[in-house]
Amino acid sequence: MKPADVALNFGTPSGSPRTSSDFEELNYPHHHTATSNSPTGSLGWTAVPRREEELPLPHYMSEDTARRRVPRAPAVDGGETFVAQDEKHPMDYDVYDDGGKDVYAKMKAARGPVGSGRLRRPPAPPPTTVGELIQQNLEHIPPIIYTLLACWTRFHKIGKSGNVIWDEAHFGKFGSHYLKREFYFDVHPPLGKMLVGLAGLLSGYDGSFDFKSGEAYPEHVPYTAMRVIMATFGVAMVPLGWYTAVELGMSWRACHLVALMVLFDVAWLCISRFILLDSMLLFFTFTTVFCLSKFHNQQYHSFSFDWWMWLAMTGISIGCVTSVKWVGLFVTALVGLYTIEDLWDKFGDLKMPVRDQIRHWGARIGCLIVLPILVYMASFKLHFLILNHSGPGDAQMSSLFQANLVGNDFASNPLDVAFGSKVTLKNMGWGGGLLHSHVQTYPVGSNQQQVTCYHYKDENNDWYITPRWGEPEPDAEGPIRFLQDGDVIRLRHAATTRNLHSHPIPAPVTKLNHEVSCYGNLTIGDEHDYWVVEVVDDIKRGKKNNVDKIHSLTTRLRFRHQVLGCYLRAANAILPQWGFKQVEVSCEKENNPGDVHTYWNVESHWNDRLPRGNTKFYRSPFLRDFWHLNVAMMTSNNALIPDPDKEDILASKPLDWPFLRLGLRMCGWGDNQTKYYLLGTPVIWWAGTTSLVVSLLVLAVYLIRMQRRSLGEWDHFIYVGKIAFFGWFLHYFPFMIMGRVTYVHHYLPTLYFSVLMFAHLVDHFVLTSKRFSEKTKWIVFGALSFTIFACFWWFRGLAFGMDGPINEHWGLRWRRSWNIYND
Amino acid sequence: MSGVQDVRQRNKGKGINRDASGPSSAVDYDDHNVAYLPSRSYIESFLNTEEASAAVVAILTIIAFFTRFYKINHPDQVVFDEVHFGKFASYYIRREYYFDVHPPLAKLLFGLAGWFVGYDGHFDFENIGDSYTENHVPYVGLRALPAILGSLTVPIVYAIMKECGYSTIIAAFSAIIILFDNAHVAQSRLILLDATLIFFLSLTMYSYVRFKKLRYQEFSPQWWGWLLATGTFMACTWASKVNGILTVVAVGVAVLIDLWDILDYKKGHSMQYFWKHFIARAAGLIALPLVIYLSVFWVHLAILSNTGPGDAFMSPSFQETLRGNELLMKSHEIRYYDTVTIKHKDTQVYLHSHPERYPLKYDDGRISSQGQQVTGYGHEDSNNQWQIIPTKALPETGRGRIVRHEDVIQLLHVNTGTVLMTHDVASPLMATNEEFTTWPKDDHSRYNDTLFHLRLSDAAPGEAWKSKSGHFRLIHVPTKVAMWSHPTQLPDWAFKQQEINGNKNANEKGAVWYVNEIVDSQDPDLKAKLEEVEMKEPKRLNFFKKFGELQLLMLQHNAGLTASHPYASGPINWPFLLSGISFWTQNEGQKQIYLIGNIIGWWASVGGICIYIGILGADLLARRRGLEPIPDDVRNRLWNSTGFFIIVWAVHYFPFYLMSRQLFIHHYLPSHVASALVAGSVLSFVLSETINTPVSAWGPSVKPRPTTYADHGVKAPVMVAVFAIAMFSLYLFISPLTYGTPGLTGEQVNARRLLSSWTLHFAAKESGNI
Repeated sequence: MKPADVALNFGTPSGSPRTSSDFEELNYPHHHTATSNSPTGSLGWTAVPRREEELPLPHYMSEDTARRRVPRAPAVDGGETFVAQDEKHPMDYDVYDDGGKDVYAKMKAARGPVGSGRLRRPPAPPPTTVGELIQQNLEHIPPIIYTLLACWTRFHKIGKSGNVIWDEAHFGKFGSHYLKREFYFDVHPPLGKMLVGLAGLLSGYDGSFDFKSGEAYPEHVPYTAMRVIMATFGVAMVPLGWYTAVELGMSWRACHLVALMVLFDVAWLCISRFILLDSMLLFFTFTTVFCLSKFHNQQYHSFSFDWWMWLAMTGISIGCVTSVKWVGLFVTALVGLYTIEDLWDKFGDLKMPVRDQIRHWGARIGCLIVLPILVYMASFKLHFLILNHSGPGDAQMSSLFQANLVGNDFASNPLDVAFGSKVTLKNMGWGGGLLHSHVQTYPVGSNQQQVTCYHYKDENNDWYITPRWGEPEPDAEGPIRFLQDGDVIRLRHAATTRNLHSHPIPAPVTKLNHEVSCYGNLTIGDEHDYWVVEVVDDIKRGKKNNVDKIHSLTTRLRFRHQVLGCYLRAANAILPQWGFKQVEVSCEKENNPGDVHTYWNVESHWNDRLPRGNTKFYRSPFLRDFWHLNVAMMTSNNALIPDPDKEDILASKPLDWPFLRLGLRMCGWGDNQTKYYLLGTPVIWWAGTTSLVVSLLVLAVYLIRMQRRSLGEWDHFIYVGKIAFFGWFLHYFPFMIMGRVTYVHHYLPTLYFSVLMFAHLVDHFVLTSKRFSEKTKWIVFGALSFTIFACFWWFRGLAFGMDGPINEHWGLRWRRSWNIYND
Repeated sequence: MSGVQDVRQRNKGKGINRDASGPSSAVDYDDHNVAYLPSRSYIESFLNTEEASAAVVAILTIIAFFTRFYKINHPDQVVFDEVHFGKFASYYIRREYYFDVHPPLAKLLFGLAGWFVGYDGHFDFENIGDSYTENHVPYVGLRALPAILGSLTVPIVYAIMKECGYSTIIAAFSAIIILFDNAHVAQSRLILLDATLIFFLSLTMYSYVRFKKLRYQEFSPQWWGWLLATGTFMACTWASKVNGILTVVAVGVAVLIDLWDILDYKKGHSMQYFWKHFIARAAGLIALPLVIYLSVFWVHLAILSNTGPGDAFMSPSFQETLRGNELLMKSHEIRYYDTVTIKHKDTQVYLHSHPERYPLKYDDGRISSQGQQVTGYGHEDSNNQWQIIPTKALPETGRGRIVRHEDVIQLLHVNTGTVLMTHDVASPLMATNEEFTTWPKDDHSRYNDTLFHLRLSDAAPGEAWKSKSGHFRLIHVPTKVAMWSHPTQLPDWAFKQQEINGNKNANEKGAVWYVNEIVDSQDPDLKAKLEEVEMKEPKRLNFFKKFGELQLLMLQHNAGLTASHPYASGPINWPFLLSGISFWTQNEGQKQIYLIGNIIGWWASVGGICIYIGILGADLLARRRGLEPIPDDVRNRLWNSTGFFIIVWAVHYFPFYLMSRQLFIHHYLPSHVASALVAGSVLSFVLSETINTPVSAWGPSVKPRPTTYADHGVKAPVMVAVFAIAMFSLYLFISPLTYGTPGLTGEQVNARRLLSSWTLHFAAKESGNI
């Protein structure tokens, strides 16, 4: 912006009734120079003269009574885009300047640009003295105090229990893998675990501990330091909660309520104090909502620097939260809904130039779709870069990927596969495993030995390539017969000597396919053991025509059953418990040449008579690995279904959460152990859930009143209400229809939105209502704050750790369903 | 009114430009002159005369009856779910109590039909393929009922479209989709509930449309008449099948939208006026249906007054209202030192013990107590006998010796002289549950572990424990587990008997037991009582209590139908007709009945829905940008009339996504009817942007608006004729699968497998021998 424009804007204040205070007037000259140096008006100290009621203090938190009646698009405030609008509605201020915000009292419908977030406050003049500086930043005092308090709650006695608590067993171990740079596999995206690894690195941990559940930490594991780093994310939740409430336009008391609830919820506290992913997940969920509300408040300053920044920050935040756990997709959906509504509004704005429309769309696509995906992929890129050694997760990945890991010996496998070779066969479908068999038999169908697809390496994955019955066995002295396209082979399971076999019996899960089993032994068998090798192509050598001999790793094969004509296939069907939840292998009757689930490649290859290969393989392309790993994660995640045969005392159902029906014992419950119990502060959970129900009722009443035309301004109510309600709904409802096993900590991100809703409703009905006196508001606020604190204090032991026999801790079992005591 | 004028002008302009026929004054003609309007094509005018319309509907109805009744006596065997619903008809005629998840209306009608044709209810419909002729069952009479209702659905569909203001040819199009649909035909020819459900559903829609059209004559007798008709038919739908409740929801949604509209301040109605409307609808669409629904159950319970196979589902107090019920006849108070046999309620096995012991070590490496085995055994045996030992002082004689609710007892296994106990050792099959075993009665070292709390179901304090009717849970005193069983067999060491263990959750369903028989009693009178066989008069129970219990059980069992079925399919497959159900097969002659729809009709319907959503989406986007591509009248028709069909379609379809019970393609048939209506109205819109208005009757307060007429020209009849011929040909082609005759060779079966996902029998390619 050219300084001239700003100067022009400064002309307008003279026409407005008066300026808000003396020192603002005093500072005009400063202001002028400051803005000239600043690229955008909104960043500079553009003093906006208020055209209406006096603002007693620059501290906006005291603006309770004035808020929301002030038009949110003052032309002079940085004024790049909305000058025109003000000219159109010269009378807007009169419209807004009546009555309270009390929706019942206000009869006139709002018109013009109605804001709904935080009131834009007049930028303060640059401070000239320290006193002024402090006075101008008074608003930051409460969050600073809350942050300090949060440090105390989060860090207090954080190293008290020297044992591996709950899922530290997983995430600590994954952190160790990063330090040892060994490839592992897990259902969660890598960002959170990399941060655990980083925490380990920063605190000087060498990655040598294997984090067995419940075990005591040895001397050399700096678990306290690691927990402190994780807990820092939990500390940051508190100021984020505060500032989000501010940005959502809540009154100062409501902001305190939000901060208090975030600070004093025992479940959030407890989950933040260990080496878990949840503190990071919560942190990034909070930042996403914060950035979104920040962005919302820039809505009348499209394409300003702040606008771009907060939009981009929202995108990055989405990327981060999704890279910690997939649960982050729910908050992404919230941002998505907000954006769709926003764009729909813009789409209906006929006065907006098409160019701006396109820019708006482009900005959203770039910042909210492309940017998060880049962040997500970057976390995987980093993951692959760090984990470049062979480790326990190898078998989840494609053979080529494994070949490129340090410590992997695939490169020295003999290259050409021959009869008599011992091989493992890798399915090439996304997330495919190794062809596997074990002595257990099918309890259904043929009752023969099971054949499955398995994701870990063991010797039950080894198979011998042998010729048909009657043909001579490969002779140790004779000429080597290499495997070629069209050869008919038998696959003999190395450990049990049985042959891979198929017959027209329906497979146990995919009933339309034939069952594949292991049958016979070294001498017994029939023609149902014959498989025809069909070459698809070779990753290195290209088309099938170029493939003369079959190479390990790179040649893609299919196995056709000679008698039945079906194809060996392993898709994503999971066997029940009797098959150890491994992947079902079946024989597909239809021939779909494009189905990668029927593609196999030779992974490990042993043959003493062949020279050891020394091949440099192609690098596995990143995008392919990325996709492969994500599909594998998805498959494993879906396989985490509750086992009806086992009673899992830790698991809970979504319906148990909103009213806190169940808690969760996070560690052993012996008398000599320090015990942690994951349970929310009951009043916060109950109040939050109740407020959600109330919000729906209020919405219904308001809608009816609107239909009868007796409702005025409700933009703010509906804006915050939508964020809170849809945020809650999107985080909660998917768990209801998800098949996987769920735990109470899955509700923790959801809880945030019910907290916001509670504060919002209290704010709406009491704290900003004109019908209540200041005294009443103090009483309500005081009572709520005290209740929250008292309830926290009562239950603080759950998060700080309880010693001695649990039954001696009196009065903790407020609901009979809590299994906190031994009985 | 200038807006209306505008619209009219625009409307007219379009109509004329396109069809280039006649002067624009046509719109002012009166209704009676419809036939020879110069602006309409001759064929359109002709078809929309009352005579032509009547002729069309007559032809459609006759064909419908023919298609539904053709060879209705084939096969003369029990087909698919006739196993259930035929059986229920028999029970009504024999007046024996049965239990089913569906409300009784449709089944009552079958009972009625059976009674009309003189069926005596002797046949039990045990298995698919049982012969009717050999058993002398007048099954054609039973099958005629759904066939009639299914045939009548066709003219009703036609009438719905007509009443909504669509042209004859469009109405015929919708009706043809139903008429030549193989799924509807197959479902209507057999003793199944869906034809009744769909019949009442379409009547509900018809009545609601009629009601809605009278909205300017509110509270007039006709208005009330159609309102009450809507409520009545809605209740009938609801009472026919459990998914009829969705019809109630659909009408509810439509009514809410309607009321919301009345509430709008722009309409200028007072709140009083609104409440009047509200109360009228509450009476007609809530109170009346409830009364009807309850009366159906009342009739159901009044007819089924004898004991029957459904007894076991019900509570003891319910069972005692049934004549000849075992509980009524054989329930006696139990006294201490009585010897009894105890049965598990869900799986009907006896509590059993024998001298064999648990193996020291199980296969998975866990260790047992090596105590005496306690198992569930399905047959009578002296090892099922247990004696009830008191833990308190008893009077010598009298009623003080009766065992009561909340008593603490011991159970003595008579043959081995040991008492039942449990302890904190993992059970053989479930590591989380406690092992049940026994302990020598003279060894008091484990006395506490042998104590059990007797907790009767819904009992008042101090209630006496009775055989048969006294359902109870046995709660272990020290560890609070309940004696529990589940249908899982123990390995060979326990002779494959059923496992019994202690479940920590005492409220689990599998923890309910009852005393089957008092084998030996201390009560001298009992012997006499046991022998007396007089007929006791059934007890009475409040109808609402019975209804409440039955309704709750129906819901529970409906949700519990989760077992997998080879022909079950997910909702996503339905609109596209990806899979069917094999109803019946006969190897001799390679005959089969396979429930599958007419793919042309189904895809046209789902295509119609897609186009509709596309049109509305495009319209919304355009309006957002200030453009109005569709004239207001036409748009209102799309929103209001087609919108209603869409609501019915969506409400009858999407809830299935949330259900975890087993689902079949015939659950989509109600939605399919609605989608046929949508397809018709979309076709009308696509062919011409003209509509017949007004369709609603004038009211005193409404200014009459000019009349406009739809004109689809010659192309509509031609298109519909081509469509009808295509539908009919495909219908004929698939009909061997629908009617189960004639038999097909393997190649013919393969030809009829239009989609690779259809799993037909007798396909030519042998997939191998098992």
